[in-house]
Amino acid sequence: MATTATITLASDIMPTYGGYSKTMTLTQGGNALDVDATTGLQRRKLAATTAVDLITMASLLVETEDGAAAGSGAAKLYVKNIGDGKGTIDKSVYVSVSLGTVSGTIQEISRLYGGDWMFIPVTGIDATSDVVVTPLTNDTVVLEYALYYQED
Amino acid sequence: MATTTAAMTLTSDLVSAPMSISTTTTCMKAGTEADGLDQMDTGYLELASGTQKNLLDATTLGVGKANKVYICNESTDETYFIEIMINAMVVGKLYAGDWMFLPWSAIDTDADIEVTAHTGTNKITYTLFHEGRTLLAVD
Repeated sequence: MATTATITLASDIMPTYGGYSKTMTLTQGGNALDVDATTGLQRRKLAATTAVDLITMASLLVETEDGAAAGSGAAKLYVKNIGDGKGTIDKSVYVSVSLGTVSGTIQEISRLYGGDWMFIPVTGIDATSDVVVTPLTNDTVVLEYALYYQED
Repeated sequence: MATTTAAMTLTSDLVSAPMSISTTTTCMKAGTEADGLDQMDTGYLELASGTQKNLLDATTLGVGKANKVYICNESTDETYFIEIMINAMVVGKLYAGDWMFLPWSAIDTDADIEVTAHTGTNKITYTLFHEGRTLLAVD
């Protein structure tokens, strides 16, 4: 039951940079066991500049930090801005991605312009580490996302 | 125009219908469609357990610019991990062998990317693709 992710970076900015490729197997925290749960790949359409939860940790069994496996969990988050969902990808506008509580404190960590994607570890802590997204404009934008994690 | 691409393939058999995601993006300057990122920094460091450092400093990069960050924990002991934080907010943990890719917004000068090593001396590689930073004056 393996989940693997391979990144390939290529760039001609620096003449001596030969690119990079790395594959990881998504494991549970501190051991070689595979992650055992996922939200699956989902889509979320947004059409307002209001901050909303993309993932509410308390709604899932994503208990990587505050459950039985406190302090030793692992979870990985994938999010991509695919444009309006009808083939138009606008690279001039973005959706900000934050961690925190939509009704309280959030910390913006990323801006996904059209076509941009991110793949990062998250803690899964209930209430304080929800994934909150905020479009720059009222134009329709669609996010694809998936969370892979170890179930409590 | 300099061209930088970041591609990912993700496969999983966690569900009965195996899932595969393939994605790629060309890294552009903020808000542009024809102007690619043209500067980069890359490095390697070893961080002793319990040590917390700024891996990337937001101050010199400028608010609103595009920054694409790749970080990998190259350690091999599966119990080793680094904690990633932005402005003291814990983002998550990179265990040995884990990597991350983040279009980092560096929203203000407090939004540094900080790392804390745990369990042992972690080996970290990183690359930042960006559109320019404020260079420090000569002492």
